[in-house]
Amino acid sequence: MKFWLAVLQQLGRNLRQTWPSQMMTFLTVSLSVLIFSLFSVIYINMLTVSRQIGDDLQLVVYLNDEPGPEMQEQLRNKITAFDQVESIHFVSRDEAYQRFRQQLGDSSDVLDDMPHDFLPPSIEVTPLHSLRGLSQIKLFSDYLLKLPGAEKVQYGQEWIERFHSFTQVLRLVVLLSASLLILTTIFMVSHTIRLTIMGRVDELELLKLVGATNNYIRMPFMLEGFLQGLAGSLIGLSALYALFLWISHRVTGSELLSMVHFTFFQPGIIALIILLSIILCTAGSYFSMHKYLRF
Amino acid sequence: MNNPPGETLPGSTDIMVELIKVSKRYPPDVVALDTISLTIPRGEMLFVIGMSGAGKTTLLKLMATMEAPSNGLIEIGGEPIQDLRGAKLARLRQRIGVAYQDFKLLLNRTAAENIAISMEVSYKKPQYITKRVRTLLDQLNLADKHGMIAGELSRGEQQRVTLARAVANSPALILVDEPTGNLDAITTEWVMKLLANSHKAGATIVIATHDDSLYRDSGCRVIELHKGNLLGISGERP
Ligand SMILES: Nc1ncnc2c1ncn2[C@@H]1O[C@H](COP(=O)(O)OP(=O)(O)O)[C@@H](O)[C@H]1O
Ligand SMILES: [Mg+2]
Repeated sequence: MKFWLAVLQQLGRNLRQTWPSQMMTFLTVSLSVLIFSLFSVIYINMLTVSRQIGDDLQLVVYLNDEPGPEMQEQLRNKITAFDQVESIHFVSRDEAYQRFRQQLGDSSDVLDDMPHDFLPPSIEVTPLHSLRGLSQIKLFSDYLLKLPGAEKVQYGQEWIERFHSFTQVLRLVVLLSASLLILTTIFMVSHTIRLTIMGRVDELELLKLVGATNNYIRMPFMLEGFLQGLAGSLIGLSALYALFLWISHRVTGSELLSMVHFTFFQPGIIALIILLSIILCTAGSYFSMHKYLRF
Repeated sequence: MNNPPGETLPGSTDIMVELIKVSKRYPPDVVALDTISLTIPRGEMLFVIGMSGAGKTTLLKLMATMEAPSNGLIEIGGEPIQDLRGAKLARLRQRIGVAYQDFKLLLNRTAAENIAISMEVSYKKPQYITKRVRTLLDQLNLADKHGMIAGELSRGEQQRVTLARAVANSPALILVDEPTGNLDAITTEWVMKLLANSHKAGATIVIATHDDSLYRDSGCRVIELHKGNLLGISGERP
């Protein structure tokens, strides 16, 4: 109790004496957290989207001829020989025609003069969820192309590939900004503490002479780091949340993106980010004090 | 809270400070103390005299654990101090009050805050600290300087604040370096009265001085240093 009273008193003095550099540190921590969590939240949303794509993923194998029941059985066996699949659906020429007609809706009368069998038959293969990786999908598609009678395989290759490489880049950015967060935070915190120490060498010296324990001397500094970590991450995350709300609000109006559901961090992740920056700042204080106290 | 000063150092021995063949050399080749042996019983008030540069301050610094001896052994409360580290060293220092020759006041803090420091580090209650600070300032005729910034005090006032800080935590051992250098006769009396009080309460006190009026009629032991050597010991007078 008395210990904490003394610590708080000391902390107040530190903050009063070095508040400009305290502000700098606080801003740096907030900004680092903001940058890091901004990229993370984008990354998380990309992952969600790519999972949705994965759910809808279907490979369509166009055939040059309608397979009979025997042939269908054979094709089915060949396909499942590569890997188990969620479902296999054979689409006959007629079914393809009916679907197309439906899609055209009101203007379906343009088809009236056309023969019913001008569309190719196809097999719609929905792979298992475990078949996620793009390279695996590619392999599967190559395999399907070698089926007897197969003309062409389609699964939105280009789009998926671009999306995939974008996700990869984003993952790199998240990792980089995490390192940035860690480095700048440690640097700024220990820089501030060093400034405080340099401005108060006499006092710290005297404290030792009158018998202050290392804990007594160190604790206010560590508490300072703790507060900087806490306040910095809270402000950084709040700024991001405000940004998030603003963007989601803008986007709900737009047709294209309205089907995408944006998500913010789970509470667990938020707690983790706060905890991480608290640990970083407190450890930063501890180690810069440690260097000083060891003699 | 207000424990009798003499009883709180470790060890049951009646000897507070023991120096055995202690030397202190400063680089490159200054011999500040040369093979000094000295025993200070618990509860003694001892004067160390000698010319400027004789080694008085160095002797006090060694007893205060501020400097380490180059040779020899120092025991305080029966325990050798050279291997003390960390919390143990801190606890010992809390039981030693030092009034430094160069004061070592925090010049941007008030007189009261300076005095409080020695009690804060041993976690005394705030109410107790406030009361004790007031009492000490009263006893040193500094009552009106309570909230004054130490840097703005006169040398004589700073000297007394330094002394107040040294005795505030009721230490078992009080080391005082030239306590009256900047004081007039009356103020000197205030200071000596305060030290006498601590002495009566059981503290062991070592005073370095060249003001012979301090010890002339005190009946206390006086030792003289000369160029780092212990000259004569003028024993207790009746
Ligand atoms: N930190 C130091 N470095 C080098 N020499 C010192 C140091 N402190 C004291 N001395 C020398 O040690 C001798 C004793 O000094 P000191 O103990 O201060 O004497 P006194 O207090 O009796 O005047 C002097 O010659 C002084 O110059
Ligand atoms: Mg001296």
